[in-house]
Amino acid sequence: MRKAAKSTTVNIMNQTLKDEILMREMLGDDGPLGMESGPDDAAVDAALRAVRPKLARTLGRARRPVARVGIVDSPVGRLLVAESARGLLAVQFLEVADAPDVLAGLKEGFDLVEDPQTATRIGHEIERYIKGDMHALDRPVDLSLVRTDFQRRALMRLRRTVPPGSVITYQALAAAVGAPSGQRAIGNTMATNPVPLYVPCHRVIRSDGTIGNYGGGVPRKIKLLRAEGFSVARDHRLPASSVMGHLVTHIFCRPQCHAAIRADPAKAVIFANADRARSAGLRACKLCRPA
Amino acid sequence: MEATAKLNLPPPFEEALGRHEREIMRFLLRMTRDQNDALDLFQETWLRAYRAYPRLDSEQGLRPWLYRIATNLCRNRARDNLRRARVISNGDDPTGGDHHAAFAAPAGGAHEGVIHLRRAIAGLPHKQGQALMMRKFAGLEYEEIGAALECSADSARASVYQALKKLKAIR
Repeated sequence: MRKAAKSTTVNIMNQTLKDEILMREMLGDDGPLGMESGPDDAAVDAALRAVRPKLARTLGRARRPVARVGIVDSPVGRLLVAESARGLLAVQFLEVADAPDVLAGLKEGFDLVEDPQTATRIGHEIERYIKGDMHALDRPVDLSLVRTDFQRRALMRLRRTVPPGSVITYQALAAAVGAPSGQRAIGNTMATNPVPLYVPCHRVIRSDGTIGNYGGGVPRKIKLLRAEGFSVARDHRLPASSVMGHLVTHIFCRPQCHAAIRADPAKAVIFANADRARSAGLRACKLCRPA
Repeated sequence: MEATAKLNLPPPFEEALGRHEREIMRFLLRMTRDQNDALDLFQETWLRAYRAYPRLDSEQGLRPWLYRIATNLCRNRARDNLRRARVISNGDDPTGGDHHAAFAAPAGGAHEGVIHLRRAIAGLPHKQGQALMMRKFAGLEYEEIGAALECSADSARASVYQALKKLKAIR
């Protein structure tokens, strides 16, 4: 008891001493206070030791997911790529988009880590794909940068049902996600697709048979479609020799086949040729016998 | 094909935390003179810093920003402490509406002059009080104080000068 009282007296004396110093330093000049009037290093260390585990828990609850980002020169130009633990988040053509803008958008939802390996890997996949390996781009995608559920549904549907070597019209894709008159919404969705190539928005074309627009520029869309076996004409039209593929029956027809005309356009895609349709697992129609 | 690394990303948040945690803790201990309060406000400061980190455009901006948040939190905490104290002591407030945490510590055992000084600082205009705290307690440069208070370095210097002049006059 007496010991406690004594230490209180010492504390008060120390405090008075500190206050004296504080007063002098406060009013002396405009320089910072010296060490004497503040906590010493040991006190700061002790406080930091006490708070670190608590802070780790507090921050842990507020944590954003991590995204690995990098820039790579690919066969389709310089790309900024970002990948989360769930999948590929973004592939942006840097000839069209500004890296700082893309990064600013990513930073809002993710903690960014620069990772050249991820970028290199994506670059190699695209190289293999352009050389003809149509399954090089099958890695999972993370569509959390996509704004609406409708857009996410459309992009997932496109990725799942329109295989390499085929295309679908804006209209048919709109119908396939339950919005038969939503081709304009589909157009916007494709224009803002954060993961082009991996979510193949280059495989969506106009109903008149021309290839339409592309976020990365029309020449790039032509390059990608050619890599998938289409011969794109000068007027950006796909050749009439294309075959219609039906994704429910897994049958492909000539476009003129009366069976194909009756089929639900929401379930149909256009293949570059019969071989592409076969490699996507479809068989030839027995009525129109496409080559 | 090799990745070209030229993203200029800001350093990871942990790096910023490691670089500034000591000085922020020292600042908060000085300002609050209470370990529990300091630990609380330390967590709150860094939580806010983490949330705002994506929007801070440069590493240089971080330090004054941290001090501004810490200073504001200290002021709010001191105000809350006082309000509580006032309820308990039924309106009898020894520090006279003091809103600066450093001087809002319990008056028991404190030097008479310090109590006087507390009152004086409490009576300073908001900006002068904040500039004074950042200069004296955190040792910030005037450029940094200016950045934190969204004014020029000269204006920050003037604020500190005015604050000191007033304090000396009162004494």
